[in-house]
Amino acid sequence: MVVSLDLITGILSFLFTLLVFSYLIGDNPLFRIAVYIFVGVSSGYIAAVAWWQVIWPRLVYPLVFGSMLEKGLMLVPLLGAVLIFMKISPRLAGMSRIAMAFMVGVGAAVTIAGAVAGTLIPQVMGTINAFDLTLASSRNVNLIETLFNGAFVLAGTIFTLTYFHFGARPKADGSMHRMGLIELSAWVGRIFIGITLGAVFAGVYAAALTAFIERIVSLINFIGNFL
Amino acid sequence: MADVIKCPVCGESNLPDQEFCQYCRSRLEPLTGSLKGEDAPIKPGQAPTKKTTAELEPILPQWLRDARDSARKSTEKDSASDDKSRQESFSASSFDLLAGLQSQKAGDEEDNETPEWLTNITGATPKPKKDQPESSEVRWVELGGVNDFAPEETAEAKPAEPSWLKDVTPTNENSDLNDWFREASGSQTPQQPEQPTIPDDSFSAPAAPSDTPDWLRQMAADSEAQNASAAQLSSGGESVPLDTPDWLRSFAEENEPRNKAVKDASDASPASSFGEEPDWLRALGASQDQTQSAGTAAFSEAGPGTFDAAAGSSADNLPDWMQNLPPVEKEKPKQGTVPRWLQEEKPVSSAETDMPVWLSDLPASEPVAPEPEQPAADENLSFGDIPNWLKAAAPQSSIYSEPTEEQASEPSSDTPDWLSASSDASQPQSTPAFSLDEIVDAPPPAFTPDAQASYNMDALFTDMPDWLSNATENPSASNLTPAATSAESITPGELPSWVQAMRPVDSGSPLASLAGSDQAPESRGALAGLQGVLPAAPGYAATNRPKAYSIKLLANEEQQTHAAMLEQIVAAETAPVPIGSFSTLQTSRILRWVITFVLFVILVPVLFMGTQSFSLPVGAPPAIDGAIEVLQSIPEGAPVLVAFDYEPARSAEMEAAAAPIFNRLSKPNLIFISTNETGGILAERFISGPLAGLSGDGGLQSLNLGYLPGGQMGIRAFAQNPSTTAPFDVALADAWTTPQLQGITSLSKFAALIIVTDNANSARAWIEQTSTTRGTIPLLVISSAQAAPMIQPYYDSQQVNGLVAGLYGGAVVEQKNGGASDGTARRYWDAYSIGMLLAMALVLGGGLLNLALGLRDRVAAGEAK
Amino acid sequence: MRIFTAVVAIAAGILILGGYFFPAFEGMQALLLNWAVILAGAAALVGIFNLVSVHTDKIRRQEKGSVYSALLLISLVATFLFAMILRPNHATMKIVLSGIIIPVEASLMGLLTISLLYAAVRLLRRRADLTSIIFLVTAALLILGSATLPFGNMPVLGTFVGPWITQVLALGGARGILIGVALGTLTTGLRVLFGADRPYGGN
Repeated sequence: MVVSLDLITGILSFLFTLLVFSYLIGDNPLFRIAVYIFVGVSSGYIAAVAWWQVIWPRLVYPLVFGSMLEKGLMLVPLLGAVLIFMKISPRLAGMSRIAMAFMVGVGAAVTIAGAVAGTLIPQVMGTINAFDLTLASSRNVNLIETLFNGAFVLAGTIFTLTYFHFGARPKADGSMHRMGLIELSAWVGRIFIGITLGAVFAGVYAAALTAFIERIVSLINFIGNFL
Repeated sequence: MADVIKCPVCGESNLPDQEFCQYCRSRLEPLTGSLKGEDAPIKPGQAPTKKTTAELEPILPQWLRDARDSARKSTEKDSASDDKSRQESFSASSFDLLAGLQSQKAGDEEDNETPEWLTNITGATPKPKKDQPESSEVRWVELGGVNDFAPEETAEAKPAEPSWLKDVTPTNENSDLNDWFREASGSQTPQQPEQPTIPDDSFSAPAAPSDTPDWLRQMAADSEAQNASAAQLSSGGESVPLDTPDWLRSFAEENEPRNKAVKDASDASPASSFGEEPDWLRALGASQDQTQSAGTAAFSEAGPGTFDAAAGSSADNLPDWMQNLPPVEKEKPKQGTVPRWLQEEKPVSSAETDMPVWLSDLPASEPVAPEPEQPAADENLSFGDIPNWLKAAAPQSSIYSEPTEEQASEPSSDTPDWLSASSDASQPQSTPAFSLDEIVDAPPPAFTPDAQASYNMDALFTDMPDWLSNATENPSASNLTPAATSAESITPGELPSWVQAMRPVDSGSPLASLAGSDQAPESRGALAGLQGVLPAAPGYAATNRPKAYSIKLLANEEQQTHAAMLEQIVAAETAPVPIGSFSTLQTSRILRWVITFVLFVILVPVLFMGTQSFSLPVGAPPAIDGAIEVLQSIPEGAPVLVAFDYEPARSAEMEAAAAPIFNRLSKPNLIFISTNETGGILAERFISGPLAGLSGDGGLQSLNLGYLPGGQMGIRAFAQNPSTTAPFDVALADAWTTPQLQGITSLSKFAALIIVTDNANSARAWIEQTSTTRGTIPLLVISSAQAAPMIQPYYDSQQVNGLVAGLYGGAVVEQKNGGASDGTARRYWDAYSIGMLLAMALVLGGGLLNLALGLRDRVAAGEAK
Repeated sequence: MRIFTAVVAIAAGILILGGYFFPAFEGMQALLLNWAVILAGAAALVGIFNLVSVHTDKIRRQEKGSVYSALLLISLVATFLFAMILRPNHATMKIVLSGIIIPVEASLMGLLTISLLYAAVRLLRRRADLTSIIFLVTAALLILGSATLPFGNMPVLGTFVGPWITQVLALGGARGILIGVALGTLTTGLRVLFGADRPYGGN
């Protein structure tokens, strides 16, 4: 008897879906079994991916089959990888700081440049361009709508940023309060943040509902294939 | 002075937080270890070693040489004094004055208690006083009024008593003081006085001088005014330090104009930190100085500043009641220590001089030849008149005195102790703490229990008399019986070798011997050439006990407030939140089950039947229109980079949203890459699933580059150099030689970049890191509905050319594509719309209901309160 | 060691930043980034090894739930071995993805549907302030606006209110949050590059 991969996949999918949905009646061993197996499978798969798609092609392969220059250049990440693996040993964990420091330094620089060039400046410019009539006309938006919407976007941006200003001064009674204008702006900013998070909530619910529907469809299809 | 610490060895200034000198590496602060070995202090009965320091004089500062010269002359002049004069001078010696201070500790059970005078000043209820004369002694010392001096003439003296004294001193206190004075005048055996409690920071700030009792300060100042040579060596002293009690400060301020003249004189003195000492110590030191300046050159290095500053600060501070002090009865007229004002009831005119007559007549102004080996009889005469606490402060002075027990028991003198002490100017034995060795070896000051007090070490060891250092150096010695009453009390205390080394040869003990071979001359610093100097090298510190640190928490009020706030926060975090009631839990579970039941009951039939009743969204947001425009602009077979960055959990939504987009492409050439570990296999699944229709005749070409690690770092590396960063596909074949990537050398060579992600951060990372390398190629984002609100700003800023979000976006594109009935979005749409309507109903209905219930609960809770 | 790690981090960061502004540094930037990518992959392996060691300890100590840990380790080892032998993108490995990973994750996501609804219903009971009300009303309007009726879009909500909220009001707030995040990222990154923050354990 030849068991198709699709059948195995369907059975596993049906089984694990039910195991997870059993959580609706409360935490139970079935749910835990599903979750622990999922973690194990995912971790094993990720480990294999890390080897086959990172370590082997980017480190081992150049060291083995690369030119002398490539081999020389790969000695540094090899040493770094060894240092990182020292993190496994409590005694040698300190040595991994070197490699971690390298990664942190590189990551910090990359995020700095990306944040400035990719978000900070463009978003500030985008806030300014919200009043760009040329751009608005290209999007078939009239003048009044452009100014009206632009004002809201500008206000939302500024007030939201103000909300994240947590600088405060102590009052005579010892309580800490922000300046009056900043407090008012932050209060308005809370409204915009509430709206934004409401939109995010709606999106999360939509995504979750889609997944829920897909799982029910999967269960129905599996049952339907056997009926 | 307060900002830097002057190195006692090289004299260079150092930052106050430094432990060692940055120039010579000498310790700047002393260690509080006891002296051991060769540095151990001299034991009782041990003869001091004679030190030869005269040949080293050329290296001394000019002012010091002058002081030594004047002292030498004075010594020679007074060497011809007879025994009587010696006896007189010794009876008034400042060392005798302090002789009982060391031994007072053992005999006094309340030595650490706050004296009653201080209790009265602070307004606290005074403790029940013991009917002992020592209490009145202390009160007299601190508050001494006119009546104390002349109890028989109370009626005359009282008008001269300052108002502040009236306020401070209770009536019964005055009577006690008078009693004490009477007893002190005729006492056979002086009682142990209470040791005045000195604030911990007595030496920690220049403010300390205010701790000196006024009478002592004034007396010393007046004595100093008589000493011209010492005035030249005077050092500046602050008249009213910050920690001075108000009554004292105001008193000092009143006399400030008169103090200026003396202060000016003291300003010209060498850098002396007189302010490090309490005034009363200063005054005592001043009394010493009168004699020592004449007798010892070594003393003049430390003592003068002390003395003169005291004089400068307090010379004119005499209150009227003191200036007009009536004389007491003539009890010892034969002694020179009895002032004239005690012999004659002669009012002193304030206009006559700044110094009262009674003080100007003090024998202190008459330098007497120093006699290290004082006859015991002379000492006993004076000891009997000195308050014990003062005797204890001068233990070293008794080293050279060998009083007999019988003499000690005899009534010596009726002269008030403080007078005899302050007028004693003939005691040269107690060489002041000049030696650098104290930097390392000196114990903390006697009245500074907090060893970490930030007193100025330089000033401390140049100005502070050594008897003060030794007062705490030998606690055992201070535990002796009262000095004036027994032989033990006057047993010579321990004299540190460094003090011994500093003793002038001419005036030193005849028993002093030459320096031993182990006392090598100091080779550096201001004491270069001097022998017997304790080493100040850091290595020496190791032999001493570690520095004592205060256990007192140095936190100000604000810090304590913050600490309390933090503690509250932590406590609130860890405190368990009590469950209101199990009915609440039950209600929650029921509500959860109700929601589950409703969803299943409604959605399962819809999905099971596969209804397609609800219409797909009509119309399209601008972002979706932009995406469609981008798709239409992509030529056939052009390589499109697809970043497949979503979690398997959202594969259904992402596939439903992405499939219609890719289905609009004609003969697409898709290059997949993912920053998610499972992205590669998800891409495989996507290719073999939703894009299966494009395979074959659809002309789909695809290449899966697999996993790109490192997050933003990996994206940046790939954007900068794609072929180097991702050289292979998932099959480990060389990707950049395949037909799909022909001619692609950089990111900008791709026809478009499509990001399929469920995470706004992932989209942001791709947008940010490719902003400088992708050139003008269009960027399209297919996102989950949850990420769309945070990606929308990038579309608005034109960094993203199109945005398709969630099942809604997929449905719109499917609708644009013709609304095929087998599309994923279409199959899900009815259940999706019902689920959304149901959610809206539950949120609004349940929300309003719970809002009402919540308000009801709050009202009920408010009423309950 | 502390100084050395700080020097490494700062030097690497400066070289990377230099590549953004100076073409001469681009080669060095690419090299360092490539190294960092490799190290990131190695770090993933270390993380998984740590997971294995933790659960191995739980099994060895026979702690409560060690049976689950055994299940985890068995599934991990089996999957790893299969993936190492067959390669991660082998067709067989799609069973693991479509049979276990996707169902479990999607089911958990489906459970989130119920949890979100429950939270939304109960929100105003626990916290009835302006922000909560605005949050809930916005969510309800957008949920309703994204649904359709059998005859077409939801009137007004689906055609005007919903899009206006997402494209104007929510856009302003989201932009403010993004700029705030960027500023925070910039600050944090600069602190790392200045050595003030040493998350690599240099402090």
